[in-house]
Amino acid sequence: MSGWDKVRSARSRLTRVGGGFSMNSMRERQRSFHTVRLGRVEPQAPGYRTIYCNDREANLPVMFKGNSISTTKYNILTFLPKGLFEQFRRVANLYFLLISILSTTPISPVHPVTNVVPLSLVLFASLVKEAFEDWKRLNNDKVINSTPVDVLQGQNWESIPWKKLQVGDIVRVKQDGFFPADLLFLASSNPDGVCYIETANLDGETNLKIRKALERTWDYLTPEKASDFKGVIQCEQPNNSLYTFTGNLIIEKQTLPLSPNQLLLRGCSLRNTEYMVGAVTFTGHETKVMMNTMNVPSKRSTLERKLDKLILALFGTLFCMCLIGAIGSGVFINRKYYYLGLGESVENQFNPNNRFVVAVLTMFTLLTLYSTIIPISLYVSIEMIKFIQSTQFINKDLHMYHFETNTPALARTSNLNEELGQVEYLFSDKTGTLTRNLMEFFKCSVGGEVYGTGITETEKGVAQRMGMKIEDLPRSATSLHEKGFNFDDTRIMHGAWNNEPNPDTLKEFFRCLAICHTVLPEGDESPEKIKYQAASPDEAALVTAAKNFGFFFYRRSPTTIMVRESHVEKMGKIQDVSYEILNVLEFNRRVTRKRQSVICRYPNGRLVLYCKGADSVIYERLAEGNNGIKNITREHLEQFGSAGLRTLCLAYRDLSTELYESWNEKFIQAKSSLRDRENKLDEVAEFIEKDLILIGSTAIEDKLQEGVSACIETLSRAGIKIWVLTGDKMETAINIAYACSLINNDMKQFTISSETDPIREVESRGDPVETACFIKDTVKQELRKYLEEAEHYLHSVTGPKLAFIIDGKCLMYALDPSLRGNLLKLSLICSSVICCRVSPLQKAQVTSLVKKGARKITLSIGDGANDVSMIQAAHVGVGISGLEGMQAVMASDFAIAQFCYLTDLLLVHGRWSYFRICKVVTYFFYKNLTFTLTQFWFTFQTGFSGQRFYDDWFQSLYNVIFTALPVIILGLFDKDVSASLSKKYPELYKEGIRNSFFKWRIVGVWAFFSVYQSLVFYYFVTASSRNGHNLSGKIFGLWDVSTMAFTCVVVTVNVRLLMACNSITRWHHISIGGSILAWFVFIFIYSGIMTRHDRQENVFFVIYVLMSTFYFYLTLFLVPIVALLGDFLYQGVQRWFFPYDYQIVQEIHRHDPDDRSSAKLQRIGNHLTPDEERSYAITQLPRETSKHSGFAFDSPGYESFFASEAGVSAPQKPWDVARRASMRKPETRTSKKN
Amino acid sequence: MEYCDRQVRIARRKCCHQPPNLGKRKRRAAFVVWEEGDDLDLQEAIWTCKNGQIQRRHPSIRSGGEIETKIEKREKEGKKRKIPKKKDLVEMTSKGAMSSGGGDDASAARRNSKKPQYSRFTQQELPACKPILTPGWVITIFIFVGIIFIPIGLASLFASERVVEIVDQYDKDCVPNKYSEDMVGFIQSSETNKTCSRTLTVPKLMKSPVYVYYQLDNFYQNHRRYVKSRSDKQLRSSAYEKDTSTCSPEATTADGSPIVPCGLIAWSLFNDTYGFSVNDKALEVSKKNIAWKSDQDYKFGSDVFPKNFQNGSLIGGAKLNSSIPLSEQEDLIVWMRTAALPTFRKLYGRIEEDLEANEKITVEIQNNYNTYAFGGNKRLVLSTTSWIGGKNDFLGVAYLLVGGLCLFLAISFILMYVIKPRPLGDPSFLSWNRNPAGHFN
Repeated sequence: MSGWDKVRSARSRLTRVGGGFSMNSMRERQRSFHTVRLGRVEPQAPGYRTIYCNDREANLPVMFKGNSISTTKYNILTFLPKGLFEQFRRVANLYFLLISILSTTPISPVHPVTNVVPLSLVLFASLVKEAFEDWKRLNNDKVINSTPVDVLQGQNWESIPWKKLQVGDIVRVKQDGFFPADLLFLASSNPDGVCYIETANLDGETNLKIRKALERTWDYLTPEKASDFKGVIQCEQPNNSLYTFTGNLIIEKQTLPLSPNQLLLRGCSLRNTEYMVGAVTFTGHETKVMMNTMNVPSKRSTLERKLDKLILALFGTLFCMCLIGAIGSGVFINRKYYYLGLGESVENQFNPNNRFVVAVLTMFTLLTLYSTIIPISLYVSIEMIKFIQSTQFINKDLHMYHFETNTPALARTSNLNEELGQVEYLFSDKTGTLTRNLMEFFKCSVGGEVYGTGITETEKGVAQRMGMKIEDLPRSATSLHEKGFNFDDTRIMHGAWNNEPNPDTLKEFFRCLAICHTVLPEGDESPEKIKYQAASPDEAALVTAAKNFGFFFYRRSPTTIMVRESHVEKMGKIQDVSYEILNVLEFNRRVTRKRQSVICRYPNGRLVLYCKGADSVIYERLAEGNNGIKNITREHLEQFGSAGLRTLCLAYRDLSTELYESWNEKFIQAKSSLRDRENKLDEVAEFIEKDLILIGSTAIEDKLQEGVSACIETLSRAGIKIWVLTGDKMETAINIAYACSLINNDMKQFTISSETDPIREVESRGDPVETACFIKDTVKQELRKYLEEAEHYLHSVTGPKLAFIIDGKCLMYALDPSLRGNLLKLSLICSSVICCRVSPLQKAQVTSLVKKGARKITLSIGDGANDVSMIQAAHVGVGISGLEGMQAVMASDFAIAQFCYLTDLLLVHGRWSYFRICKVVTYFFYKNLTFTLTQFWFTFQTGFSGQRFYDDWFQSLYNVIFTALPVIILGLFDKDVSASLSKKYPELYKEGIRNSFFKWRIVGVWAFFSVYQSLVFYYFVTASSRNGHNLSGKIFGLWDVSTMAFTCVVVTVNVRLLMACNSITRWHHISIGGSILAWFVFIFIYSGIMTRHDRQENVFFVIYVLMSTFYFYLTLFLVPIVALLGDFLYQGVQRWFFPYDYQIVQEIHRHDPDDRSSAKLQRIGNHLTPDEERSYAITQLPRETSKHSGFAFDSPGYESFFASEAGVSAPQKPWDVARRASMRKPETRTSKKN
Repeated sequence: MEYCDRQVRIARRKCCHQPPNLGKRKRRAAFVVWEEGDDLDLQEAIWTCKNGQIQRRHPSIRSGGEIETKIEKREKEGKKRKIPKKKDLVEMTSKGAMSSGGGDDASAARRNSKKPQYSRFTQQELPACKPILTPGWVITIFIFVGIIFIPIGLASLFASERVVEIVDQYDKDCVPNKYSEDMVGFIQSSETNKTCSRTLTVPKLMKSPVYVYYQLDNFYQNHRRYVKSRSDKQLRSSAYEKDTSTCSPEATTADGSPIVPCGLIAWSLFNDTYGFSVNDKALEVSKKNIAWKSDQDYKFGSDVFPKNFQNGSLIGGAKLNSSIPLSEQEDLIVWMRTAALPTFRKLYGRIEEDLEANEKITVEIQNNYNTYAFGGNKRLVLSTTSWIGGKNDFLGVAYLLVGGLCLFLAISFILMYVIKPRPLGDPSFLSWNRNPAGHFN
């Protein structure tokens, strides 16, 4: 009997039995999982789901959801209502809907077509876009849902589509296949029941992670065996926490705890494993990845918000115009105009007996008549422009394509293009953003001796500042350079360390490096070809270092580490030593740990605990005595720190068997505890991680990214203030700031640090309340003092530039509402601000402090998960893509591969975008106002009756055809100065910061000229049309005059656009010529035909009548020129006397040939120094990306500590799940609101 | 390929091939001969000559040794993309050399490259002209406009001046004195004698045709209620006789039968008539061909005859001869082309005789039309035409004024240029140079 048959029979049986127990239990189960909703973080429902593996009928009563997914927004039925609803949430659309409805009433002077046509065109365009996107999603879903997967049915694997998969099914996934649902990992073709997975779909990380099945289930690999598998899974209800999973597997009355280690998430793919077998636990929308698909609240640009104000102003104008007209109509209406037939039976709108009603109704009439003042197509046009800008220009910019990592820039939203042109405050993460996050083992200190002769960039920078010039030492023959290792010291390389005074300590040092880690070796087991998979590049660097020192770690099994030791090289021997790994006490996210220990047993039975971690943590746990080494090493640590190196202390402890055994018992207990596992493990670890003996310390260099320094300089010339927010130590941060010229010696530095003696002293007393008070007072005083000083400098003319440095602990107090004001004032005065040791939450707080407090436009750039909150908090979030994980990119609005691409992104794309959108908006404003005003002037001469001046179709097509395209072309192609000049004169960017192009003054100028032009249009055309027009002496009617006026408007408005352009491509000619031509073609056809169904008062033949007169040509020549004369004069005078900066730059470079920046592009990278080439080569190595944050000195726990203190939990880091022995309880993810 | 073959004969083996990834157009333009081991970097890949075959290599592979590339072009330089010169080649390949990795990897990487394709559009490098509005241009354009406009203005003004126009306002004078207090009563009464005689003096020779207009003031033919009170369908065809829904309040008679032509516009048709005589000799006034042909032919049907027109209690204006189809009723057609402004002229007829200077024209006016109710004026206009139409100085004056203004502006710009010159592209005018102060921008 196949599985399907079983299901069917089960259903029938259930119905037969009915009621009773099964129904009750079913209801109960349903209740337990109904509380979970998609896309939202819900508190865990008390309850669990029970899954009967490989038994569809047993699972049937619970009615788990199927595995088919649907990510579409609409379906066929809901598309129209839902899509339209979305559209009408826009005020302009809603307004036009109301106007359209109004225009079907007799009040309206215009045919409904006037408003319906543009509205429906706009809606149609938007809906088509929506439908297209949804259709793509649908197709995508279909493909995914019908992907085949092997399912166990009976004793065979059968291929069924994903959507038919059910909870409890046993599936087989082959190499490189994707997991169709969240699976419980049972067995894999690898020995030891491990499999490797890639989580690129989840978090973008491409490094492999290991999952390990429970030993008990390793055997269920073949279909025969697997069909015997009858386990019951009891696990948590579906939730969106990617890194947690708790549950038990009950198999043959044995309860085995489950951890995230056994869970394979949908969307991940299987790597380096032939195939694996798993049981489906969560399906479809209940999988963790699906529950994580939240809609990030979209950001709106500041300019768009200002645009709303402009629209409001237009509404105000509209109201005034209507009011004037309405009052006029009330006054005008009079029976004396007998020819208007205002008898007793006249309708209300023209009834002279009730002038008030006349005025009110005319108000509505005019509202429909003047509706064109609201630019309905503005939003659609802007959206279109921005979409093309982001998809075609930003995403395809070769200047922002990073060859080494093969990453182009990516605009993830098109809403914020112009915001990029107005950024004033830039918040940058340090690690991975300013620096490469490319860790190289650089120096070490062992037994009180410093090894490693290299000089860091930072030191060079420091030296340069001191006026010294440091030459690179010639590399010795022994120097080795590979990824993660940039170390040179003849004393210890190539086995020379045997001759050092302390070879035993050195040996411990190397062993510690080779053993104490969680790195996975991959590939060929030879020193040249092996690849290390590590949680952080630091770890890999350390293992690589060990390899180069002759302690080659080449194989890991769950219980052993194989190291090929060549310390006996002199005797010509290489020895493979296998160390038994008894326990691994890992780094975790707790603030307390910051260390990692491994307990191993030497082949000779020696039991050792190796530990590495942050200096503070290790020093606390050192055994008494031996202060000499401790102090020297501490000195070295400081030395390394000031050289910009990342340090780590190494220590060990010999254990006696008894001690270990007794401890191990506690450890196993803690490990298997279901509640509070992590806490307990920590506690237990404390018992054994003490009385350590210090070996030494390592120093790892974190290199600056290419061009960071130049980029920062350019950006600060552009008026952008750069703040560095980092989790690193103050010294490191300051050094990096020096290295990238954020700070220099001419600057006055204000430092608020918690690492001062008085604070330490108070801290040592151990009273947290007292400490807090003390720090707060200190911070308060210092802030006030610095602020006074800074203000003093501000008023003096030649004051130095100021820099402000604060650390996380002090920041916590400075962000207190009472001190916040001073903090903000002080930091706004300073030209660079550095916050070190800050948590992600604080990063976000600082960002929003400036965003909300100073109302400046902010940009955050970062690369890691710890920057997510900051990226979301800022106006514009930029993620660094390429090397790191995707968390930051996923949260960002723009993703670039290198920090230095910010120059292009901001100074070129942002500036242009801002410039263009401003022009587009003001132009839209102008063209609609001009057009509507001509109508308004006409109203005065029609007895305020609300008679329309133009034909309905003229009015409806004005916005959508006759003037639509050129403005889009302007929005796409207008360039004030070329890209290279934008970067050469970064100061031009200040025009955007000052918002020079979208001030009320600018709008006022446009408004003034639209009034002027509309007067010219109306009065010139009407005045010249009075008496006869050609030899025939025949006279024009209303429609002839209005068609004339409309022709003038279309021509002028289009030519005006050309005048607004800085660079005129052939597209400008085509679109502007095309628009004018379109009008003529339209009017030729429209007025040339007459059908039976023509409407009233059609404009039949007017254009031909018009064109038969000289009047037409004379007016057509005169009116546009007169209308544009004002603008021309203004532009001339403005340019001459009040030139914008860009105009001067244009003039300076007016004779430059068109620079072909592509040529320049090819030159980039040709002049690399050998060093750069090396690092380039390193980046070319197969990628091995991960978070550095798993490391002690980067204190992953630090953040969550602060966050939890502030009552908010920080987002989890996507670090390697596999390595974590246990997890904290599932915590709620914060969805950041902006 | 012939060219190639000749090359191959040379002892050293040579590759003779077009770079495979060049487009058709460029392939014609550029022809490349490679010697063994040569590299050529084109766009994304390096093409190598190996054993007489062209092979594509990833740019990441460094070419060994000296690179010698001979580039031959059959035609002159290709317009679009140049084949890189030797120097460039060296640069490019050295760039390529920075990467490492095996050939297989590299070609795979090549396929997966996300490098955007170059296009002028995406790189925003479309060829463009970048006009700069320098003072020179401003002055030139002003002068240019002035020079063009003034002659046009003069010509128009001259044409307008040639037009001889006689305007006579007769509304008040044609009301007998005893009715001067009650002009409305006079005009509405059917008893009163509305005939009125006026004498006009021809100031200058008026060549035929002399057009006769009537001009009304304060008459809102463009009022919304008025404009829409008509039925174009009814006017066009007898089939739509009953189509009077838009004609309120003059749609139907009291008994419900449709009025043809219906609506306020037709109802209020102007009904003053003029008879002209010179020296007691009557002047023929032609009423033909006073409406636009298109109106006559298409908008007013030849099978539509007036019906029930002006039969109601209130009579608005002229009556129509119900035996003449609408298409022949040119007065009506002219009237129904509603005017744009409340002051308008409409063509009444044509006098096909020259009027000599100082001739006295006697006009016999039937003063029927009620403009007194709303305070409007009535004028009789006799006018000749020129190419520009009737007498209208506006265009000429406007052209002259604007032209003059342009010249004036040009001169003042020149003066300003002399008095307060600003050197073009002077960096000291840049805002950050003008205001170099400190950290506050």
